[in-house]
Amino acid sequence: MTAPTLEPRAAAFRPGVGRRLGRWLSRYGLFVYTGLAIVYLMLPIAIMILFSFNKPVSKSNFAWVQFSLDAWLNPFGALGLESAVLASLRIAFVSTLVATILGTLIGLALTRYTFRGRGATNLFIFLPMATPEIVLGASLLTMFVSIGQPRNELTILIAHIMFNISYVVVTVRARLTGFPRHLEEAAMDLGATEWVTFWKVTFPLIFPGIMAAALLAFSLSIDDFVITNFTAGQTVTFPMYIYGSYRIGVPVQVNVIGTIIFLTAVGAVVVSTILQRRDRAA
Amino acid sequence: MGAQLRRYRFVVPYLLLAPGLLWLAVYYVYPAVQMFIASFWSGSLSQGYTFSLSNWTTYTAALDRYQEQFIRSIVFAGLATLLTFAISFPLAYTIAFRGGRYKNLLLFLVIAPFFTSFLLRVISWRTILGDDGLLLGPIKGAGLVPEDFRLLATPLAVITGIAYNFLPFMTLPIYVSLEKIDRRLLEAGQDLYASPFMTFRKVTFPLALPGIFAGTLLTFIPAMGDYVNAELLGQTPSTRMIGNVIQSRFLTNNDYPTAAALSFILMAGILVSVAVYARLLGTEELTSGAV
Amino acid sequence: MIRRPRFAAPQEEQMSEHDPILGRRITRRTMLQGTALAGVGAFLAACGTSGQSAAPTPGPSAQPTVAPTDAATAPPTEKPKPSDVLNFANWPLYIDQDEGSPPKSPTLEQFTAKYGTKVNYAEAVNDNDQFFGTIQPPLQAGQDTGWDLVVLTDWMASRVIRLGWVETIDTANTPNFTANESDVYKGVPWDPKDNLRAPWQSGMTGLGFDESVTGALTSLASLWTADPRWKGRVWMLSEMRDTVGLTLLKMGKKPEDVTEAEATAAFAEITKAVDAGIVRSFLGNDYKEGLVKGDLVLGTAWSGDIIQAQLEKDTLKFVIPDEGGVLWTDNMLIPKGAQHKYTAELMIDWVYQPAIAAQIAAYVQYVSPVKGAKEAIAASTDPEVAALATNPLMFPDDATLAKVHIFRALTEEEEKSFNDQFSTVMGN
Repeated sequence: MTAPTLEPRAAAFRPGVGRRLGRWLSRYGLFVYTGLAIVYLMLPIAIMILFSFNKPVSKSNFAWVQFSLDAWLNPFGALGLESAVLASLRIAFVSTLVATILGTLIGLALTRYTFRGRGATNLFIFLPMATPEIVLGASLLTMFVSIGQPRNELTILIAHIMFNISYVVVTVRARLTGFPRHLEEAAMDLGATEWVTFWKVTFPLIFPGIMAAALLAFSLSIDDFVITNFTAGQTVTFPMYIYGSYRIGVPVQVNVIGTIIFLTAVGAVVVSTILQRRDRAA
Repeated sequence: MGAQLRRYRFVVPYLLLAPGLLWLAVYYVYPAVQMFIASFWSGSLSQGYTFSLSNWTTYTAALDRYQEQFIRSIVFAGLATLLTFAISFPLAYTIAFRGGRYKNLLLFLVIAPFFTSFLLRVISWRTILGDDGLLLGPIKGAGLVPEDFRLLATPLAVITGIAYNFLPFMTLPIYVSLEKIDRRLLEAGQDLYASPFMTFRKVTFPLALPGIFAGTLLTFIPAMGDYVNAELLGQTPSTRMIGNVIQSRFLTNNDYPTAAALSFILMAGILVSVAVYARLLGTEELTSGAV
Repeated sequence: MIRRPRFAAPQEEQMSEHDPILGRRITRRTMLQGTALAGVGAFLAACGTSGQSAAPTPGPSAQPTVAPTDAATAPPTEKPKPSDVLNFANWPLYIDQDEGSPPKSPTLEQFTAKYGTKVNYAEAVNDNDQFFGTIQPPLQAGQDTGWDLVVLTDWMASRVIRLGWVETIDTANTPNFTANESDVYKGVPWDPKDNLRAPWQSGMTGLGFDESVTGALTSLASLWTADPRWKGRVWMLSEMRDTVGLTLLKMGKKPEDVTEAEATAAFAEITKAVDAGIVRSFLGNDYKEGLVKGDLVLGTAWSGDIIQAQLEKDTLKFVIPDEGGVLWTDNMLIPKGAQHKYTAELMIDWVYQPAIAAQIAAYVQYVSPVKGAKEAIAASTDPEVAALATNPLMFPDDATLAKVHIFRALTEEEEKSFNDQFSTVMGN
């Protein structure tokens, strides 16, 4: 680790150390930095997981009191938490399904066909992502109010599908651009119709991309707060539950649910990576 | 038959686009139009609203009354973006150039916080940064800072909170850009006697610009509209951002005209800054997927 | 009103040795059980039969009476039946809760046992304005809000009543309410016949502080003093009438006849405290967390909250300041178009039984509007509960009542103007 330096009579002065430190930094500095950055990124998550094992004396879960599995054994022990989580899951599933379908169709159109208005469509798809969530939520609320539509789970669903479409399109498009068209052409040369080619050749190959987009849409939907807050009416979703309860004290069960969601997402990624590796090996 | 097929092929992309675009048209464009109309309303929810073009004064009144929050939002979002960039760039660089086998793992670790609820992350920071909390408690105990020092309820807390939330958004696009750089270009630079720093400045950095552009936009734009960080971490009136104002105008005061006007001013401001920014950087790869 | 007290008292026996506070909490649990038993016992003892109007006899000094159902004078139409479901929106932690997981409310469970109605109780009201924002559109359109019973603070309740968006309570169905409503609530200008709303709980706004940090305080002026002990750790309520009311009192004015000019001066005064760096935030329910955490040490607080918070931090104190405090009441209303109006009336009647009211009040620890609740609490077998009967914050005596003021009703323009100015003060 020490770089070879020419240090005649180094004992008297210490340029060596300085230079050694310099070299060390330039070699490993970035890694140390990355390590620190990762720690910084993980810190709130670690706190969240840690405090899910806490047993606070008061309603607020801000100081460590003692280790306890109480909240884990009874994850829905807070009033209203279960219905909030179920609402979030329902909305996430349905909005992911619809948005993935709609977005994949758009992605396919954008990457595989040239047509008039393609550039404009590209820009148009980008707009919802560029709009701050508060503007998206507020405009939906204004519209619902002006047409007299009461806000409930349906309006939340509509909003989630809307903002998810753009993210699905971008993700699918990224996957599709490198797509080997020659495989399709080969299939068609061998007599397959377009429809059959699509389902037998194209779709299996782009499926990982679609799944990635679906996963992204799902996590965006489960986690969305701002837009949901505006369009929810009286419905309570999991993030809204957290927001509503932080004033009085977030129940420990919320940390438990958050940890479960986190581990599920991590698990999903790990599993899909393993499957991909196996695919590639096979 | 051939002509039919050709016509069919012509229509296909539009068919594919139709459902999704229709959805966006109804639930993105129409609400935006509706909000624009609402910004010209006068009246109240109980008495009803009337549309009148002469209500353009709502815009000037809103700008005048909330200019402090607008400016503060720009400053906070800007500082947060700079901070995020400062943290993310070395991180992305390391992963792209020194990641080796661990690239995917490191990327995964960068995205992982994203898998928890955004609110829970902010609340965790509230716990960590509390006046006598996990961070300040020991520091105050050791006498390093005065007793009444606080991190919460300061602009610093809001800026770092926003920066934290958007780290993945900044890191990923920069990583993608850096990763695409052909290593041979870097070698060429060195062959031509450029120092590592010069190579970086003249080759790496410019090639990373599309990613930087995308990352800064993905950070700055949402940061401008943020209100959760300002509310949970900022807490004081002097840290309120324009997002808080819009939220309170809509949900607490039911003042739809002003709230709609503010939203449009915010959108307009963002679009203008993005256009200027794109001009400055000289790249227009906005839409073609630097993301 | 916002923020509700109640933090469910926790559990383990083994904690009792460690901490006198926790030990007290154990007694709280027995207190809850005791009160619940008292309530159920009293109820069962009083009337085992099916009549809806029977009420358990309370203590000796109160005079609630049992109003008999007079079958002869009832209209010859079919007698309404309690519905399957009742949708009840209330503030958080504003009803008694047991220790279960998820916690259930003994009062509601007993109601279900008697009438077979499932109560969908939701702590959906976190802020008067925000909740109003959710019910206004359907009410405006003449549609059902989805709620049968909501609880709103008097200024918001009077606005809803003024807009004609409440159902008139059929007092023939609520004899307990008519008989046991404390006289001080009767005959207010915005509900002259006492059939548009039923008070749920009352409370007082005063000074809350951590005595170990700030010392004993009694004057509102401390909120404007940049004392290093609390500078930067002061909060004020985000509820406009509370904060402005107290500010007016500090300035020597009265909230019950505030003028626009006085209000504007009050807003300027509040801004002074903010600019001087004394006031840290404008909060609702969350001030309690800050107090317990130590981020906050002094501010305008609600009486019941502090009593609650004392269990977590016994150095917390609540006082009605020398200059005076603010009195407010939260009210039950039946929104227009409610599907289960009759059952809502039954619920109103239910909670106006002294024993049930005592059960709620002992837990919530705000001022009960029900005559006889005090006696029922005093008669409790649990000494902790019985002691609450003499707590002036729960059952204010005349001296206390003389010091509190009620903010006057505002017109729609005044309300908009005041809210606007207050928003500016809060930075919104």
